[in-house]
Amino acid sequence: MPHAVTLEWRDGRSATVDVREDETVIEAIERAGLGVPYGCLYGACATCTARLLEGDLVHVKRPRGLKPQHSLDGYVLLCVAEPRSDCRIEVGAVIQADLVQNPWK
Amino acid sequence: MSTDEPNQSTDAHIHEHHEVEGPGYPTPAAMRTESEREKTAFVMGPRVGMDVDGPDFIGVVDVDPDSATYSELIDTIEMPNKGDELHHFGWNTCSSSCHAEGLVRDHLIVPGQRSSRIHIIDASDPRSPTIEKVIEPETVFEHNLSAPHTVHCVPEGKIVISMLGNADGELPGGFLQLNQDDFSIDGHWEVDRGDMEMNYDYWYQPRHGVMLSTEWAAPETYYPGFDLDDVEAGKYGNSIHVWDWETKEHQQTLTFGDEGLIPLEIRMPHNPEETEGYVGAALSSNIIRFWESDDGHWEWETVIDVEDREHPDWDMPVPGLVTDILLSLDDQYMFFSNWLHGDVRMYDISDTGNPRFVDQCWVGGNFADRQSVDGHDVRGAPQMLQLSRDGRRLYWTTSLFSSWDNQFYPEIGEQGSLMMKADVYPEEGRMELDKEFVVDFGDAPGGPARAHEIRWPGGDCTSDVWQ
Repeated sequence: MPHAVTLEWRDGRSATVDVREDETVIEAIERAGLGVPYGCLYGACATCTARLLEGDLVHVKRPRGLKPQHSLDGYVLLCVAEPRSDCRIEVGAVIQADLVQNPWK
Repeated sequence: MSTDEPNQSTDAHIHEHHEVEGPGYPTPAAMRTESEREKTAFVMGPRVGMDVDGPDFIGVVDVDPDSATYSELIDTIEMPNKGDELHHFGWNTCSSSCHAEGLVRDHLIVPGQRSSRIHIIDASDPRSPTIEKVIEPETVFEHNLSAPHTVHCVPEGKIVISMLGNADGELPGGFLQLNQDDFSIDGHWEVDRGDMEMNYDYWYQPRHGVMLSTEWAAPETYYPGFDLDDVEAGKYGNSIHVWDWETKEHQQTLTFGDEGLIPLEIRMPHNPEETEGYVGAALSSNIIRFWESDDGHWEWETVIDVEDREHPDWDMPVPGLVTDILLSLDDQYMFFSNWLHGDVRMYDISDTGNPRFVDQCWVGGNFADRQSVDGHDVRGAPQMLQLSRDGRRLYWTTSLFSSWDNQFYPEIGEQGSLMMKADVYPEEGRMELDKEFVVDFGDAPGGPARAHEIRWPGGDCTSDVWQ
């Protein structure tokens, strides 16, 4: 059954998409024309990094682009993620930059 | 003839010392002296990793000062999909096939670094290229390869692309071979990859039957951004690989250790007689020279060491991060960029083992005094370089790679990056920033974009190899 996934950008915008059975969150977002960044579409590149705020979201392929600590901190890769309940997630290009800091700064 | 005119034909260049005519120039000097000034540039315009809801594009930039649209983005060819990360690209054929009849340099091979999608572009009209064919990622993954990078046309009607990962974005990478006539995939170029696992850039010297390839990391490692822990865990490259160009077998690994961490762009002299070259080790910020010794083994030494710099607001000394390097067509000058510092340097390499610093240009980055050009803030720093064929104009863009941009220069991810230029005076051994030339990809139609590799219609310093 479809689940309602609410997308929240850090600038305060939000939108809700219905994610169908066997559909990744990125596929649903593209269908809705909402424009969230993505790249490889197989869980390696982390361009589609988002942060799960609430709900049950599972990876259907290994999210290779995330380190274990990222997963513990709630980061998810939307191109290989499917909801198992209604969810709230934080999205946008800046979320990916949370994963890596400037090591010299 | 102008190389920027539509339908550059095979009979444009008369090869006095060859019976057949081909798609390039018989010698590097012929390209340097007999081609006209560049009038347009193809520039990759990735939008991946930005909040702009649009695909990457191939930009056409007007670089003809006599044109009314000089220094403007005059066309953008958007890709059919989003998320590709257009990065490096190359030609269907070049001077390496100079003696092959019937070939025309009229198609660009434009891979998506993240998507693993490969676009074939009809560039016979350099002001208005069109997409002719798309090789979808699934077709590439069938060969257990991903993350296409360097494209070179090679003799015998083939195109070889370095591939950085397997179909899962892990190691090993390899090389994908395409046919020039219909752009179909043959399969792997390499027959035996020996201990090579990481891949990035490559160069070859067909007269000596040698190819050398470099190392970045597994796509799953470098795609998400740069993590020093990954360097400490040995997940980033520190070696280059020597291949037998004829048998396609791995021959030797040159391991640099800490002196050569993340060896990226590799260049050999354009003179086909030469059996040496240089690689820029990005993280170590060294230029390493390699050469073939008398017994056929390859040796190496560090010839330039860019000093780390203290930044008043940062915790640790900052490396230059040598991300691109090129040699002029006459093999007299080397240029390289320090993307974290904010400068591009010019060295006299007429004594190849003892490069002599001659000049440098500071703009943008974390250390340059000058942080704007013609009213445009410099987002990022000199990175991807391209030199005019006559060696008198050096152009560059300021984006490195989407996730690394977002980490080190986040303003690029919000507002796009720039293309700039310096005038080079080879007779005097100096270069000077052109304070009036700037192409702001932040103003691209459809929304801001990054700007990456630059190529001229008709070939350039980093596209062509001579047999």
